[in-house]
Amino acid sequence: MNTGVGSGPGDWPEALAAIIEDFTEAFDAKERYEMLFELAEQVDELPLEEWTAKTKVHGCQSEAHIMVGLNENGGFHLRGAADSRIVQGLIAITASALEGLSVTQVRAFSPKFVEEMGLSSALSPNRANGFLNMFKKVKEEATLLEGQDG
Amino acid sequence: MLDVNAARKDFPILKREMAGGRPLVYLDNSATTQKPQQVIDAMSSYYRTSNSNVHRSAHTLAEEATIGFEESREKIRNWFGAGESRVVFTSGTTEAINLVAQSWAKVNLNEGDVVVLTEMEHHADIVPWQMLTSEIGVELRWVPFDLETFELDMGAYEVAVQGASLVGAVHTSNVLGVRNPVEQMVELAHQAGAKVLIDAAQAAPHDRIGFDSLGADFLALSAHKMGGPTGIGVLLINEVAFQQMQPFMGGGDMIREVHFDYSTYQENEHRFEAGTPRIAEAIGWGAAIDWLAKWNVESIHEHGLELARFTADSLRSIPGMRVFGRQADGDGAVVSFLHDTMHANDLAVMLDAQGFAVRTGHHCAQPLLRRFDIAATNRASFWLYNTLEEASAFVEATRDICQRYS
Repeated sequence: MNTGVGSGPGDWPEALAAIIEDFTEAFDAKERYEMLFELAEQVDELPLEEWTAKTKVHGCQSEAHIMVGLNENGGFHLRGAADSRIVQGLIAITASALEGLSVTQVRAFSPKFVEEMGLSSALSPNRANGFLNMFKKVKEEATLLEGQDG
Repeated sequence: MLDVNAARKDFPILKREMAGGRPLVYLDNSATTQKPQQVIDAMSSYYRTSNSNVHRSAHTLAEEATIGFEESREKIRNWFGAGESRVVFTSGTTEAINLVAQSWAKVNLNEGDVVVLTEMEHHADIVPWQMLTSEIGVELRWVPFDLETFELDMGAYEVAVQGASLVGAVHTSNVLGVRNPVEQMVELAHQAGAKVLIDAAQAAPHDRIGFDSLGADFLALSAHKMGGPTGIGVLLINEVAFQQMQPFMGGGDMIREVHFDYSTYQENEHRFEAGTPRIAEAIGWGAAIDWLAKWNVESIHEHGLELARFTADSLRSIPGMRVFGRQADGDGAVVSFLHDTMHANDLAVMLDAQGFAVRTGHHCAQPLLRRFDIAATNRASFWLYNTLEEASAFVEATRDICQRYS
């Protein structure tokens, strides 16, 4: 059942469910990438000055950086940026998906939404977009956030 | 004139439809070329009718397999003008270079001996020598190239070869397409008493290499960049160097006699081909050479260069685009390029979504790219089946992507 607040296939948060729907309605791969380029502009961008060894996502063909934090309501908030627009678009989608969740929800979140969006070909090991590395880093950092909380 | 349309008909993969029903535009020929039906048929026919092991049994299939395998060796010897030299099968260019490092350099070089390399080398002609710096203490000397003209600094080369034991040089750069003056390089190295290994992986599909007349001591190349199958290549070796080599891989097929306490080895090429060889691949490669022989290699070269020149000039007209290469006479059909603000990977993914296959990344030549202070480029590379229409459509797609998204 879709509750709109879930964290896995068939039950995604509302904002993510809407993005997935847009992507599945796209005409072809070209249009899906164009949508990623547009989404890239919408991320809470981590400025170049804040890129450090600690924010860097490893195992990614592009230079990608993320920083996790909490929003004004105490919910999860992801900032990020990459020199690749496609990678930054993926960070933007991840940020929308996780916005406002609890750390426990973030840690349980499934990365399978990219498959539902028809983007898995962009994420093969060969393409090395590093999406899964980025997603793993988000979860690891979220865990540290919990440490700070408690 | 090359009949491109006739050539295209032999490649079944070119009929493939990509995403959205778009035609495949394959511009990654420097990584590997597509295979003509004749090569596919030769390999398939071998497996259907003659599959057996070579150099062993007395039955009919073994005889046919052995004849097919050894005939291919002779086709390769003839095609590359190595009638007076040795043709040792390897898994490809990389293994061929490693064979020189393990079976010649390790046997003949000592601590402090010098190996000269160019800054254009592929990782395959860098890493094996770095391994020998720690294993036996050889010293590496690097020959730079000009960042504006993309030409090797021959003055620096002439100095570097003095007192050197071996030169490793790429014939045609896989990144820049630049053809190096290998004839002059061989002559200067030999005057200085150094042996020369040429990496001809990128030259094989475009050039008629005459190994004996070039006079190099070793030459490495792969089948798969000239229409043949993956997994097979050769090291061509002149007789003097061949006699200075010792096998580093032991096993079946390379021996004459094996006793409990010692073995003796074959004296011909088999000495360096331990284990069951790549029989179907050798036969497929032979078929690729038969197929290539139907075309005029000079025309293939001219056609590829014409497409590369058109592409390079057109790409230069895109604001923010940088092209690495000169596309001079003799150069390979390769265009490396990088946009100021459009990430190389993003461009490649967007091109792929429209059916264009180009290479992206460091092209296994990280030191070369570091000289330009970049980590990656996109690269379009052509072969005889590519058309001017394809090159033009590729440039326009690239222009459109860069204009809209950078």
